Amino acid sequence: MGNDMKYTSRSGIAMIPALLAFAVGAPGLAHAFQEAPMLAAQVSQGKLPPVDQRLPQKPEVIKPLDKVGVYGGVLRTAVRGDADHNNILKLVGNQGLTRWKPDYGGAMPNLAESWTANADASEYTFKLRTGLKWSDGAAFGADDITFFVNDLLPNKQFFQSPPSQYVINGQPMTAEKIDDSTVKIKFAGPNLQFPNVLATPLGQHATLYSKHYCAQFTPQYNPDLAKLLAESKQPDWATLFRQKCGDIEIPARWANPARPTMDPWVITTPYTGGGTQVVLSRNPYFWQVDTAGNQLPYIDSVNMKVVSDIQTMLLATIGGQFDFLVRHINTINNKPVLSQHADEAGYTLVELSPTDSSAMAIWPNETEPDAKLRPFMQNHDFRAALSLGIDRNEINDIVYLGQGKPWQVGPLPADKFYNEKLGTQYTAYDPATANKMLDGMGLSKRGPNGMRLLPDGSKLFVSIDAMTADTAAIDVADLIKKQWAKIGIDTGINTMERSLYYERAQNNSYDFGTYAVPGGLNPTSDPRAILSTHTLDSRQSLPWVKWYASGGKAGEAPSESMQKRLKLWDEWKQTGQADKADALFKQILASAADAFEVIGTVEAVTTFGIRSKKLMNVPASMPNGWDYPNPAPTLPATYFFVK
Amino acid sequence: MGRFIARRLLGMIPFIFLVSITVFLLIKLTPGDFVSNYAASLAASGETVDDSMLADMRTRYGLDQPVIVQYWDWISGVVKGDFGYSFQWQQPVVSLIGERIGLTLIMSVSTLFFTWAIALPIGVYSAVRRYSWGDYFFTMLGFLGLAIPGFLMALILMFVGVSVFHTDVGGLFSPEYANAPWSWERVVDLAKHLWVPMIILGTSGAASLIRIMRANLLDQLHQPYVDTARAKGLSEVTLLIRYPIRVALNPFVSTLGFVLPQLVSGSVIISIVLNLPTAGPLLLQALLGQDQYLAGAFLLLLCSLTVFGTLVSDILLALLDPRIRYQ
Repeated sequence: MGNDMKYTSRSGIAMIPALLAFAVGAPGLAHAFQEAPMLAAQVSQGKLPPVDQRLPQKPEVIKPLDKVGVYGGVLRTAVRGDADHNNILKLVGNQGLTRWKPDYGGAMPNLAESWTANADASEYTFKLRTGLKWSDGAAFGADDITFFVNDLLPNKQFFQSPPSQYVINGQPMTAEKIDDSTVKIKFAGPNLQFPNVLATPLGQHATLYSKHYCAQFTPQYNPDLAKLLAESKQPDWATLFRQKCGDIEIPARWANPARPTMDPWVITTPYTGGGTQVVLSRNPYFWQVDTAGNQLPYIDSVNMKVVSDIQTMLLATIGGQFDFLVRHINTINNKPVLSQHADEAGYTLVELSPTDSSAMAIWPNETEPDAKLRPFMQNHDFRAALSLGIDRNEINDIVYLGQGKPWQVGPLPADKFYNEKLGTQYTAYDPATANKMLDGMGLSKRGPNGMRLLPDGSKLFVSIDAMTADTAAIDVADLIKKQWAKIGIDTGINTMERSLYYERAQNNSYDFGTYAVPGGLNPTSDPRAILSTHTLDSRQSLPWVKWYASGGKAGEAPSESMQKRLKLWDEWKQTGQADKADALFKQILASAADAFEVIGTVEAVTTFGIRSKKLMNVPASMPNGWDYPNPAPTLPATYFFVK
Repeated sequence: MGRFIARRLLGMIPFIFLVSITVFLLIKLTPGDFVSNYAASLAASGETVDDSMLADMRTRYGLDQPVIVQYWDWISGVVKGDFGYSFQWQQPVVSLIGERIGLTLIMSVSTLFFTWAIALPIGVYSAVRRYSWGDYFFTMLGFLGLAIPGFLMALILMFVGVSVFHTDVGGLFSPEYANAPWSWERVVDLAKHLWVPMIILGTSGAASLIRIMRANLLDQLHQPYVDTARAKGLSEVTLLIRYPIRVALNPFVSTLGFVLPQLVSGSVIISIVLNLPTAGPLLLQALLGQDQYLAGAFLLLLCSLTVFGTLVSDILLALLDPRIRYQ
C-alpha cells in the first residue's frame, strides 16, 4: 500500500487534455532560482533573504500548461459584498497537504511531497517538503500540523464537536510528529477517502494555522491571553482565534493581513463589510517554481473588486474590467451576452464543465406532512408517473437553451460509477402511460376542472417550493406545472426567500423541493440525492436525515430501501480497500435506482466564465465545483499576462 | 423654547427604548437565524459546511439563548455605547457602520442640495408661469423622473457608460483612490464619480418637490396679501421671495424628519446597482443574512434619526413661521 494507492480511487476524466502539472522532486537543478523583479528589489535592499533561501530545498516544479511565463501584472476579478469569502478561497486559498489533479482525477501531492498509508488505511504518514516557509518567512513543519490536530481539534472550546471529515468511529484523528517534516495521522478506523478529503476545501484545517503566530491566541500556549482578550474585547479565545487566524469558510480568514499563509498571494486589503476592493499580493515565500526555475506566482497581485449586484458584475465583465471570472456570471442564460462582447472586451470564454448531476430536480417529500397525500408520495409508481409526465426536451430548450439532455440523477456517463438506470429511467415524455398509471392507483376520479381527486373525493393538490433567487428552479417549476396539468395533477408553485425555503425543509412542511443535484462526478463526495445524509438539502426527506444522524433516536425511520443503503454507506465508510468500497457504492446506486426517489429533469449543463485574451496558462475547460474548488487546482500561480 | 426642547429630548428616551424592542423582535421574527442563513447561503452556491461547525457557531454567538436574553445582551451594551458584534464580519458593529456612514452622508447631503437646487427654481417658475410651455416641459420631465425607477435608470446609465464611453460608472472612487488616504486628488476623484448617483437619486426626489412647491405656491399667489403688496408697488421678484415663497417653504421643512433617515436607507437599491460603498447595501446584507446586531444597530440608528429629524424640523418651523411659535 504505497504510492499506487493514491491514484486508484478516482477515474481519470479527460476534461483537460493534458495534465497541467506534475510534481517531481527537482533533482539537482543546476541553475539558481529566479524571482519576480519586485522581490529582487527588496532582496537588494536587504528586506528579504535571497530567493534560494526562501524556497524549500526541493521546491515543487510545475510544468506550465502553455509555456513558461513572465512576471508582472495585476489579475482583476470580482467578489460579491457578502457571503462570498469562498470566492477568495477558490482562487488562492487552497493549499492542503494534497490537491486535486487538474482533471479532478484524484489527489496528488501538494504541501506533502508524498504519503503512505498502512494496510487498512487508518494511518497515514505524510512527508512534507523540507524547508517550506510561511508567508512571513517562519518555517512550516510537522509542528504546525500537530498544533491543529492535537491541540485545536479535540478542544471542546474550539470545536464543540470536531468537524465530521476528521472523525472516524466517533473519534477525531490524532497526529504524531516523526521529525520536522514527517507527520503520522491516525484514525480510529479505516479512512480510505482521507487523501481526497485533504484536497477539498473542508479538509485543509491542518495547513491553515501557523503555530508560531496562532498559538498566541490559545490559553494553552499564551499565559497572558487574558490581556489580549481584554484589548480585543472578544468574548472568548476561540472567537479571538478565529478573528485573527480565520477558519476554512468564514470571511475573517481574509480579514487579517498579519496571518501567515502558504498561499501564492497573501491578503493586503482585507475582505470586510463595506470594503470596495480586496487586494492580495505575492507571497515571497511561495514554494512552487516553474520548469525554468522561476518562483511562482507570475502575477504580482490580485485585485478583486467588490460588486454587490450580479447584473452589475456582468456589465463590468462585458466592459472588459476583469481579467478572470468564473463565478456568479456563469449561468447558461448569460452565455449569449458574454459571447457577444468577447472581442471588444478582449476576453475569451472558459468552459466550466459541471460536476453536478442534474441541473434541476424535483424532490418529492417522502415524509409528506399531509396524511392523505403521503401514501402517494411514498409510492414508487406515483413518482414514476410524475416523471413520465415531464417533457424534459421542452425544459431543456426553454430554460437551458438546448444545452442539456433529459436526465434523472446519479453519476454521469463519464464517471466510473455511472448507473444507466439511475440516470435515464422514466425520462421519456409519455403522458398516456402516466395517465394510465395514475388511474390505476386510485386517482381516476376527476374534479370539475379536469384535475384528479384523491380516493376520498377531496382535491389532489401539490405544491413545488422554489427560492426566489433560483430563477432556473422557478422557470422549470412553471413548465412542470403546465405539463402536469395534462396528466391531471393540480400543481402550485411556492416561491419564497431563501431562509424560509430552508426553514420549511427543516420543519418538513413542503411537498416538493427544487434543487440542482450534485454528484455527477466523484459521487461519493456528495451523495445527498442517493442517501438521506445531507442535513439541509436531502429533500427526499429531512426526518430521515435526522433519523440517520441521531442513530435512530430522532426523526422518522426511512423506507426499507433507504435503510439498506444507509447500512451499506456505513460499511463503505469502514472499508479499507478501494475495490471493495467501490463495489459497495455501486450497490448503493443500484438500490437508489430501484427506489427512484428524486425526479431529475436535465443533465447539468456546461457554463462559461471568462479570461482575458492576454492571460495564459488557463485551461480552456475546467470542472466547476466546491469539492473541486476551481480554479485553484488548475494553479492560478502559473497564470501570466503576455505583454 | 429651551424647555420645549428639553421636554422633547426627555420624551425620546422611552420612545427609542420601545423602538429597540420592536426592531429586535422584528429581526428575530423572520424564519431561521444567522447560522441557518449562513449555511443556506453557502449551500446556494453549492458549498457545504459541516454540521458540528454550525452547532458550534450557534452556541458561540449565543443564538441558542432565549430571545429575551439575546435582547438584554444587546441593549445593555448599546446603553454603554457598545453596539455588539457582527457575526458575519467578526468585527464590532461600530467600526463597520462608521466606515460607511461618512460616505453616505457626503452622497446624501450633496444629493439633497442638488435636489433643492433644481426643484425650488423650477417649482417657482412652474407656479408663476402656470400652463406655459415651460411649465408643461418641466412637468413632463418631473413625471418622467418620478415614473422611471432609480435602479433602472442606474442600469441604463451604466450600460451606456460601458458600451458607448467604455468607462466604469459604478463606485465612488477609481481603483487607485479606493483605499488611499484623503487628499485633494481623492476629493476630485470622488466628485467625478458622485454626479451619477446624485442625478439618479436626485431626479425622482426633485420631481415630487417640484410638484409640492408648485402647488404650495399656487395656493399663496392668489391670497389677498399678495395683491396688497403688489398694489403697494413692490417689484414682482422681491414680492415673490419675501412673502409667498417663504410660506410655501413650510412643507419642505416639516418633511425634514423623514429626509434624515432617507439619507441612509433611501438609496439601498441604487447603491447596490451602482456598487456604492455606502451604508445601504450593508444594511440590506445584514437584514438578509440576519446579522442581528448589525441590522439592529442600523435600524435603531434610522429610527433615532427620524425622531431627531422631527425635532429639528419642529424647531426650524418655529423659527421660520411666527404663527407656529405662538400657538
